[in-house]
Amino acid sequence: MKTAVFWGCRILTSQYAYELSVREVLPRLGVELVDLPEAVCCGDPVKSVNDFAATYLGVRVLALAGATGLTDLLVPCNRCHFVISEARKVVEKDERFRQKIVGLLKEEGLEYRSDVKVWHVIDLLHDHVGLDGVKGAVVKPLKGLKLASHVGCQLVRYSDLGRVDDAESPRKLDELVGALGVESVDYAEKLDCCGSALMYSHVDSALSLAGGKLKALQNLSVDGLVVSCPDCALIFDAKQKEAASTVGVKLNVPVVYYTQLLGLALGVGQEKLGLHLNQSTVDLLVSKVLC
Amino acid sequence: MAKPNRESREKILAKLRSRELVNCFQCIKCTSGCTALKLLELKPHEVEKLVNLGFVDELASSDIIWTCVTCLKCVQRCPQKASPYHVIMALRNLAVEREVKVPEAYMKAVSQVLESGLAEACQKVTTKKMKTFDRESLKLPKLASPKESFQAVFLKALEEREA
Repeated sequence: MKTAVFWGCRILTSQYAYELSVREVLPRLGVELVDLPEAVCCGDPVKSVNDFAATYLGVRVLALAGATGLTDLLVPCNRCHFVISEARKVVEKDERFRQKIVGLLKEEGLEYRSDVKVWHVIDLLHDHVGLDGVKGAVVKPLKGLKLASHVGCQLVRYSDLGRVDDAESPRKLDELVGALGVESVDYAEKLDCCGSALMYSHVDSALSLAGGKLKALQNLSVDGLVVSCPDCALIFDAKQKEAASTVGVKLNVPVVYYTQLLGLALGVGQEKLGLHLNQSTVDLLVSKVLC
Repeated sequence: MAKPNRESREKILAKLRSRELVNCFQCIKCTSGCTALKLLELKPHEVEKLVNLGFVDELASSDIIWTCVTCLKCVQRCPQKASPYHVIMALRNLAVEREVKVPEAYMKAVSQVLESGLAEACQKVTTKKMKTFDRESLKLPKLASPKESFQAVFLKALEEREA
């Protein structure tokens, strides 16, 4: 499979570990990635300011993808995935809105594309490559690890848009984690939000949401947390120390992207997966499986 | 005492492009699952009620609409499709139009998009071992700027006002 890929802002500007690991592991599973001709925003922060302009940016991504001649688009960021999916739904439903947006796209020499399928890493691996495909590629099963998964809000809600997994009981990420030989634990706070969207306006509250969830996980004695969204990773991994201070405990929860975990199971070197860039104590997790 | 403003209420309904908000029957499913309730006292069912009663101006100038964490649970669970999340976003858009208190980070992100195409500038990251990396040293591809037409057309989109 050959797919266009839209990275969004956060991955390209700071969450380099996600980009490195996606670029490293997907081709090994038969997925060829083609970057879009522009690095642009999906419209996410614009939604709060001007919904029309945000929708324009979302639809514009589909147009850019269509212009590559490909009909599959990988969007590894949960927020981008949501914004683009909602933008598409809005223009499909609202004729007047669509005409306006098509007009603006024309001014840029772009064409509205309704035929581009939007994927996330999770459904691309689970539904396209398949659990057997993933299992078959594993050279180093990560036996003995017990991990919690955090799928992220915007990837599973809201169902009217057609999301990657069930809104109240998502399983795909757990199954993918399980395919690597890891035990994926269920926990009460599983669907709790990471809080990262509040970093725009209420930083302390954002950090205490993340801190609360990490504290609960630490009490469960898991070996780490698996995420698949750059915003969730930013707050759980890069901001873990700050989050700890809002909940009054010392936090030591290794946080990894699923693609990093998958890379380890595929026998890829740690630096190629960007594991040296994680700010949490990932060495604790890695040393349990690579010895 | 605050007085309801029907005109402002219609503005929100126009922004929502549907009138399902009026079907809210205060079941409070939204508030009982709201991520921002415990920490920031956001009560989405109250936002719904206040908009329906016409107290839109008060909400648009209140900090409460900026406490939503956009987890989308209220959209998912609302039996009436009266989605508090979308009502809150419409109120935020109205607040921007009226140039009342808007968290600076949002406006900064939008001007950054206008300027460069991305909402954030590329950062150097420092590892736990105090080594610094950027895209180049990680051998990640150079970022391609948006085409020349982007800035002017995005500006046009920003000037577009719904209703």
